[in-house]
Amino acid sequence: MSTETLLEVKDLRVHFPTGDGLVKAVDGLSFTVDRGDTFGIVGESGSGKSVTNLTALGLTDRNAANITGEVLFKGRDLLKLGKEDLRKIRGKEMAMIFQDPFSCLHPFYRVGDQIVEAILCHDKIPKKQAEQRTYDLLGAVGIPKPKERFRDFPHQYSGGMRQRAMIAMAMAHNPDLLIADEPTTALDVTVQAQILDLIERVKTEFDIGVILITHDLGVVSEVANKVMVMYAGRAVEMGTRDEVFGNPQHPYTWGLLESIPHVDHKGSKLVPIEGAPPSLIRTPNGCSFHPRCPHRFDPCDKDDPEIKDRGAGHPDACHLSAAEKTRVWAERQAPRTKAAS
Amino acid sequence: MTDIAQPADDYLVKVEGLTKNFPITKGIIFQREVAAVHAVDNISFEVKSGETLGLVGESGCGKSTTARLLLKLIEPSAGKIWFEGEEISGFSRSQMRRLRSEMQMIFQDPYASLNPRQTVGQIVGAPFKIHKTEGEGKKKVQELMDRVGLNPEHYNRYPHEFSGGQRQRIGVARALALRPKLIVCDEPVSALDVSIQAQILNLLEDLQDEFKLTYVFISHDLRVVQHISDRIAVMYLGRIVEVAEATELYKNPKHPYTAALLSAVPKGHSDSSGSERIVLEGDVPSPIDPPPGCPFHPRCPKAHQVGGPDGVPENCRTEFPPLDEVDPDHIAACWYPLEQGEKLQQAAHA
Repeated sequence: MSTETLLEVKDLRVHFPTGDGLVKAVDGLSFTVDRGDTFGIVGESGSGKSVTNLTALGLTDRNAANITGEVLFKGRDLLKLGKEDLRKIRGKEMAMIFQDPFSCLHPFYRVGDQIVEAILCHDKIPKKQAEQRTYDLLGAVGIPKPKERFRDFPHQYSGGMRQRAMIAMAMAHNPDLLIADEPTTALDVTVQAQILDLIERVKTEFDIGVILITHDLGVVSEVANKVMVMYAGRAVEMGTRDEVFGNPQHPYTWGLLESIPHVDHKGSKLVPIEGAPPSLIRTPNGCSFHPRCPHRFDPCDKDDPEIKDRGAGHPDACHLSAAEKTRVWAERQAPRTKAAS
Repeated sequence: MTDIAQPADDYLVKVEGLTKNFPITKGIIFQREVAAVHAVDNISFEVKSGETLGLVGESGCGKSTTARLLLKLIEPSAGKIWFEGEEISGFSRSQMRRLRSEMQMIFQDPYASLNPRQTVGQIVGAPFKIHKTEGEGKKKVQELMDRVGLNPEHYNRYPHEFSGGQRQRIGVARALALRPKLIVCDEPVSALDVSIQAQILNLLEDLQDEFKLTYVFISHDLRVVQHISDRIAVMYLGRIVEVAEATELYKNPKHPYTAALLSAVPKGHSDSSGSERIVLEGDVPSPIDPPPGCPFHPRCPKAHQVGGPDGVPENCRTEFPPLDEVDPDHIAACWYPLEQGEKLQQAAHA
């Protein structure tokens, strides 16, 4: 597989001035996505996952937000492009599927016509040809009898089929980058499995990069090859799937991993993260996770840890030394492994 | 009434043949019934005192309808419900009122289930007012708030001043107010972030130990149900297809639907079982016109495996399989239940 860099985000900051103060939705975020990657972004509500990607697509209102940093898509800085130039990229070179397949399709128009419209807005081809391409697309995403289903309205589709139609629409122009914002959150677990399989298949078939935003660590650990964990507008840990899940470094990642009920650990108590995520207006001094962190020590409430490799082989943002982390994480794991055996 | 129930009957709640159809009508003035949604179709189960019964299934399988039927918030179309040995299915609203303090509910959406114009004190205190219990309301409410992990000083705050997790705590406090025996939790954590989810699950477990509560716990998230339940009932299209002890169900699912559902759960990185996802074809059929026979047969990998080239076997297509004991304390409604360790065909190439 090629390792062409598709998207490179450098020190992105998205701040919204509001009546109550400055909301730092994204605060100094850097990452890269290569072709062939499934880049998983995990975090809780309000951690800045969605704002990051909306900004990358140029969908954040530039008048309402102070945006600094760079978003390089195939070498071009999207933040410097005008509306018209962005429009040419959006939908054609990068596409997005949203969380809620119920509100993303217009209820008054036939599903097929909506996909045709998406095709025609970038390609000047005869309508007949666009319709033919829509049949192919619908078939490719696993909608049975695409010719009949073309004429259906969105309410005649089930949730899973709507999400398939959204994927068909996103793939209409064979984009290089597909951003999936919580694509399975609104779906049932058996349908979720179908959609995750489909995204994986689309990724290999079209040889694209995928950004998968989710709050479900299980989903990420299953389909992503790279993972970024976000907390309060920043990345706290980043690495390949094996690095992050096999050798987690940040106490927040630990907390997330321990919060998930695990079938093999039945009987042992869940270890929740105490407290609640901070307000993005008044983020705590120092490390923004320190008020909830059981391992905080001297510098945590003063120095803001930058995200860098601290000896574990992948970057994280925690003041503890790598050796210390290995010890603490082993200690935290001990009761669970015991319960499992 | 409890004393009258036979000693062998340690069931707090028992339902038999419970059915609920919602009619679909046509016409504005002269309404006539044209069809019915078979939301819950002839289900029977028991909930033992002090246990947690998990109800799992996908959207539209009748979980929430079952919950509402249990509390008689809606009237069943057919079937019987016993609570503490007393048949309550025929009870009128006023007869039910007396029982309401014994059975409570925690709702899914902590944003919609709290009145935005009432303070926490009023919300949590409402059960005391309605059931006219003696004593100092405010003090009791503050004790409750403290017990569920809310600051009692926030007595006069409004719901919007709390976070999602805290609001769900308010819902828990309200349900707990009258010291009920049964709490039906309808997706109590699905609107919450994972780190908060764990807090609420732990709280529910602690309260169960402390107050000897019985839970009926409804969720579409198998991991959560698995964690909290003693026994689990799996529902599909208005029917119960399998009931077993939680670990047993996970280790040894008998019904192909349960097996598929379990395999669809994202495993997480540390899981070493290495089993392949069984991806079911298609969607859940409409409960207006459920398939004849076993409702799962059109999607069932096992039925196709058994039938081979002839398609789905006759009995799967025509007759609903009875809920039979397949293993001790393990019942499943399937003509061809899975053997222990049997992998479904789709998983075979793993």
